[in-house]
This record gives sequence, C-alpha cells and structure tokens, in this order.
Amino acid sequence: MSEDTKSSGPHPNNKESLEQAAMQDNSMQDVHAQLMREKEEPHEGFSPVPIVLMFLFAALCFWGGVYLVHYSAKFRWDAYSPYFDPNADKPAPVEIPLFVRGQKVFAQQCAVCHQASGAGVPGVYPPMVGSSWVTEHPEVLARILINGLNGPIEVKGNTYNGNMPAFGPGGLNLSDKDLAGVMTYIRQEWGNEASDMTVAMVTDYQAAYASRSTPWTAPELKEGLGPVPEPEPVVEEAAEGEAAEAEEPHAEEAAH
Amino acid sequence: MSTAPQSNSQSVNPYSSQDAAERAELSQIDASIRSSALFFTVSAIFWLLAGTVFALIAAYKAHEPSFMGDSALTTFGRMRSAHLNAMALGWGNNIIFAVGLWIMARLCRSPIRHGGMLTIAGIFWNLGLTLGIAGIIKGDITSVEWLEIPHYATPLLAISYALIGVWGIVAFKFRKGEHVYVSQWYILAALFWFPWLYVIAQIMIIWFPARGVVQSVTNWWFAHNVLGLWLTPMALATAYYLIPKVLGRPIYSYYLSVLGFWALAIFYNWAGVHHLIGGPIPVWLISAGIVASVMMVIPVIVVGLNHHMSVVGLHKEVWRSPTLRFTVFGAISYTLVSLIGSAMAVRTVNEVTHFTHFTVGHAHHGVYAFFSMIMFGGVYYMMPRLLKREWPSATLIKLHFWGSAIGITVMVVALQIGGWIQGVEMNNSEIPFLEIVQNTMPWLKARTVSGVFLTVAHIAFAVNFFWMLFAAGAIRAKQGPTLLDSTSEEGAA
Repeated sequence: MSEDTKSSGPHPNNKESLEQAAMQDNSMQDVHAQLMREKEEPHEGFSPVPIVLMFLFAALCFWGGVYLVHYSAKFRWDAYSPYFDPNADKPAPVEIPLFVRGQKVFAQQCAVCHQASGAGVPGVYPPMVGSSWVTEHPEVLARILINGLNGPIEVKGNTYNGNMPAFGPGGLNLSDKDLAGVMTYIRQEWGNEASDMTVAMVTDYQAAYASRSTPWTAPELKEGLGPVPEPEPVVEEAAEGEAAEAEEPHAEEAAH
Repeated sequence: MSTAPQSNSQSVNPYSSQDAAERAELSQIDASIRSSALFFTVSAIFWLLAGTVFALIAAYKAHEPSFMGDSALTTFGRMRSAHLNAMALGWGNNIIFAVGLWIMARLCRSPIRHGGMLTIAGIFWNLGLTLGIAGIIKGDITSVEWLEIPHYATPLLAISYALIGVWGIVAFKFRKGEHVYVSQWYILAALFWFPWLYVIAQIMIIWFPARGVVQSVTNWWFAHNVLGLWLTPMALATAYYLIPKVLGRPIYSYYLSVLGFWALAIFYNWAGVHHLIGGPIPVWLISAGIVASVMMVIPVIVVGLNHHMSVVGLHKEVWRSPTLRFTVFGAISYTLVSLIGSAMAVRTVNEVTHFTHFTVGHAHHGVYAFFSMIMFGGVYYMMPRLLKREWPSATLIKLHFWGSAIGITVMVVALQIGGWIQGVEMNNSEIPFLEIVQNTMPWLKARTVSGVFLTVAHIAFAVNFFWMLFAAGAIRAKQGPTLLDSTSEEGAA
C-alpha cells in the first residue's frame, strides 16, 4: 500500500482525510470488514432500449387513445356508462320542409334575376308569378331547371329573349332535394297554387334529362311530355312517417 | 503491499487510494445515520410482528367468525384495519425511513447532519401510529379504507412524516458528484409524493370532507398511489441500489432507467380510479384510469428488463447472497404483480375480480412479495454495515426466505384462484349468495395456513436481527459474510 499512502497523505485539519488515512491501516480494515469487501457504488451502463419495446409501447399508446375515444362518453360529467351514446336521447334531426328549403335556394340562386318578389324584370327576366310555364306541367319546369333555356319565350303576353342557365349536373349541379325545393317554392309562392314537386319526381326527371347537353328552346319544352305524376309520392312520404314534414309546406302556404 | 489486504482477501475489489477515499466517506455516512436507521429498523420489525398477529386473527376469523368474537376490540373490521395500518405505515414507512434514507445518504455522499433529530421525529411518527392503531382497535376507526386512523392521530403522523422526509431532501441538496443515480430519482420523488398524497387525502376526506363521490375518487387516488408512488418507488430504488452493489456490475441501461422512472411518474397517478369501475362517477374518469393502468405495462417491462439484464448470468451469486435472494424475488414479483394489476383494470376482467378475494390477493402480492421482500433484502445488506457485525445464522435467513416465499405464494395463489371462482359465481344470478360464500371457505383456510408460514418467517427474521443487535461480539467480521451456500467462501453479502 506504499504508493497509495503517498498520494493521499493525511492533512491534520481535515476529518475526512484523517478517516481516509485510517482506512489504510490494516486493523482499521478489519473493523470495517463489511465496508472493505463492498463493491463500488452502483452506476449505470448505456445499453440502448430494444427497438421491439418501442413498437410495443407505441402500440399500447395507440390502444389507449382508441379506448379513451370509445369509452369516455365525450368527457361529459353526467355520463356514467361506458356505452353512453350522446345521441341516444335526442330526437332525429328535423327534416327541413321542401318549401322552406326552396325559399333559401331561390334567394341564393334565382332572386338576382327573377327578383325576390318573383316578378322578374320587364323585358329582361320573365316573371314567376302566374306564369303557366311554372305552374302547369311539372316536367316543363324540371326541364328548364335541369338543362337551362335558350332563345325567345313568351310569358304572360311578353316575349323574353335570354339565357336561363342549367342547374342540373351539366350546370350548377344542385342536389335533387334543392331542385325539388326551389320548384315547389315557385309553384306555391306569390299566389301560385300548383302541386308539390317531390324529390322522387326530380330524380325521375334527372334520369331522363341529366345527360342532355344543350339547353331547351321554348317550342321544344312543350314536346313529348309525360303524364303529370299523380301525387302518390307525397302520400308515400307521408306513409314513411314524415307526415309533419309533408304538412309543413301547406301551413307555410296558408300563412301567405 | 499493493495487493489486497490479507484479512479481507475474499473481497473482490483491489484496494486503491481512490477507493479508500470513497470507503472512508461511506464509513462516515454510515456512522452518521446509524442510530436513527437502527431505531427505524427496530420499530419496523416490531410493527411487522404486531401486524402479523393482527393478520392471523383477521385471517382466522374469516372462516371461523366466532373466534374471539365476544370482544368488540377483536372484531374483524378492527383487526383487519389494524393489520393494514400496522403493515403499511408501521412496517412499510419505518423500513423505508431506515433503508431509503440510508441509500439516499450514501448515493448523495452526504452524511446525515444532526441524526438525533431524525430519531426524535421517528419517535413521534411511531407514537402517532401507536395512538392511531390503538384508536382503530378502540373503535374510533373511520369508514375510509386506507385512512382508517382516527382524526386525532393523523396530524401527528403528517407532521412527523414531514420532519423525517426532509432529511432525504436535505441529503440530496448537499449531494456530491454530478451524476444522480436512478435510486436517488425514485427516493427524492417519493419523498415529495407521499406527503402530498397523505395531506390531500386527509384534508378532502377527514378534516374538511369534500362532497359526495369526490371523496371516493380521492380515497382511491390516495390508496392506490400509496402503493404506486410511495412503496413502489422506494422498493425499486432499493433494488436498483442493491443489485449492482452486490454483484459489482453496472445497471444494464441508463435509458431504460429514465424511461421506467418517467413512465411511472406520468401514468401511476391516474390509475387508482379503476377501483371505482361501475361506480357512479363520470365514466371518462374511470376510462382514463383504466388506460393509465394498462400503460403501467411500460414502466414495468422496462424496469423488469433493466433488472433482469443486470442480473443475467450471475444467478448463483444471487442465490447465495441473502440480500439478492430476497431482492430478486421481489423484483420478479414486481413484474408479475404489475402485469396482473394492469389486466385487473380492464373492464371485462374487473367484472369478475371486483369485490372478491382476488383483489386481496393482489394487494398482498404487491406489498409483500414485491415491496417487503426487497426491503428484507435491504435490511440484510444494511445491518452488517451499520453494526459492523455479521448475521448470526444462515439457517434463520433461509427459514425466513422459505417461510416468506412459500407463505406469500400460497396466499396469492389461494386468494386469486378462490377469488376468481367467487367472481364468476357472483356474476351468475342462479347461484345463491350464501353458497358462494361457503365455496370460498377452503381458500380462506389456505390463507390462514399461508399466514402461519409468514409468521414463522417473521419470527426467524426478528430472532436473527435481535441476536445480531444484542449479542455483541457474537459473530465478527473476520469470519466473512453470512452466505446461504456454504460450499463457497467467495462472493458477496
């Protein structure tokens, strides 16, 4: 131990180094036998984390996220069952009546030309009010909306010569529901008193005319019309439990 | 003369001057904490024995209710709660104060200053606990599981804890060296976690009770966290210290240590609410608790792997060293009990195990097979260093080990099989309840038998300990460490 003592000789005023010097004495070492045979204080190696574990942990975290989404009941304080369905006690969403839907579509798409009053602009845009094109055969109206209209047309004694754009798949591509709504609206607003245009009817007309690429002309409109569909689809809808919905437009109508 | 000193030639490390400085430092630290650590260990062993008596009475009454049934003092409810508190706060906390603070001081290379005050704080802790457990037996028990100690004893416990815990934090504050070892992380964190848990639970449940279900949420947040954020980190810290220390080999991976520590810190705190599955609390809270409980698989696998890789290949040394035989048993149990615990939190499993003896088995699996076994290992390592004596009897150590190992295994297997059967039967509405209760009888008797094994083990441990403590000069260090395999003199203690 001779070399060792040289390097760490005792400093008289330092308790630690006194103790340290004593530790190099053989009899002291016997007293401290437990301490002497101890291995060094622990330390750590730096082996990498096995990559398999990282995949396992990622999978666990993913599972945890999925589980929380499924069984957290949207973090509501008043939900106590893991199978809580936040929509269970709510009524089915209310279907907007066709007439009301049509009113909105008209305001967005049509009122710029035909005016909110449905009176049109004399000499430029034909009126809707009392127009036989609007109120008579639904197929005529459907043809105009789906494919558009080109060239002169006589409405209530005045001739208009303009372009009506298409709103079917070849044009602005409104949905069948929107088309049915807007047609129902113009047939029943401003004192017009024609029948509903149901979604089923529009779907049928779409099937017939959606592929047509050219707009109609006034004479063409009157040719080859099918029979006016009976109001069966309306009854059918009512039978499906949407009676309230079917009645809604009439209530609206009565209000006007 | 540069070779190892003759009388200690079985020691493995060659002796050097740098080593001498380190050992001198350790010798000083051991001396600074000797009296308080001894006080805590002695207290812990007394509580262990008292808790064992309470446990035996409660276990026997579970299948023989008329046993000691004439006295209110020894009814099941009071004995069971006295057992729980004696074990958790008496044995558990005292042994943590002994082993945990000793390891902290050693790793910080910082002697405990004014150790006498630490002992005084410890005396108050044990006075408070004695008052509390006497209160439980007298009938002042609260109705809250894990917080049964009556309100007049808890402030004393909280204050004396604070006076004890602060010593570990002070040691850390005055640490030397740049690197902070993984055991220090766990101990430092737990020294903050426990007072937070205890004080919040006392305030919200006992002192100024919160309303309605908030109490039960707090209750299980506390009860589960006492296991996971107090006993668990302290036992892991001890295992992380003892394994490399005895084997003289570094811990496998620093990165695994980091991952294991932080995953525990992040996930455990959420897990307690899985005790309330099916209860009237917002379901997202329970689901979050379930996810966190399952996430505990991460720290468990990481710590298990880290320990396993540090030990692998040295199984003979582990088996021969009393310290490591207990510690490694505990470390293996940690992996097992935690994986079972994660599974128990899943709703489909919990439907069966909830309200059955399965949970009781699980609790003992954690606190005994994991925590207590590692702490036994800690005592076996610490005492020779503090007393400068060797353990008098290897036979008693073996008796302790086998009594504990067989006892706890029988108990966990019996309660978990019996509990599972009980749970399946309770979910079947066609089986009358009394029939189910009667079907648990053989399993409860098996638990009492396991209690006898554990009692024998604890008596062996106590005898060996006090023999070592009082029979001065009985076994001196020259004879070498007390090992469990006499064929070889080489190795560690």
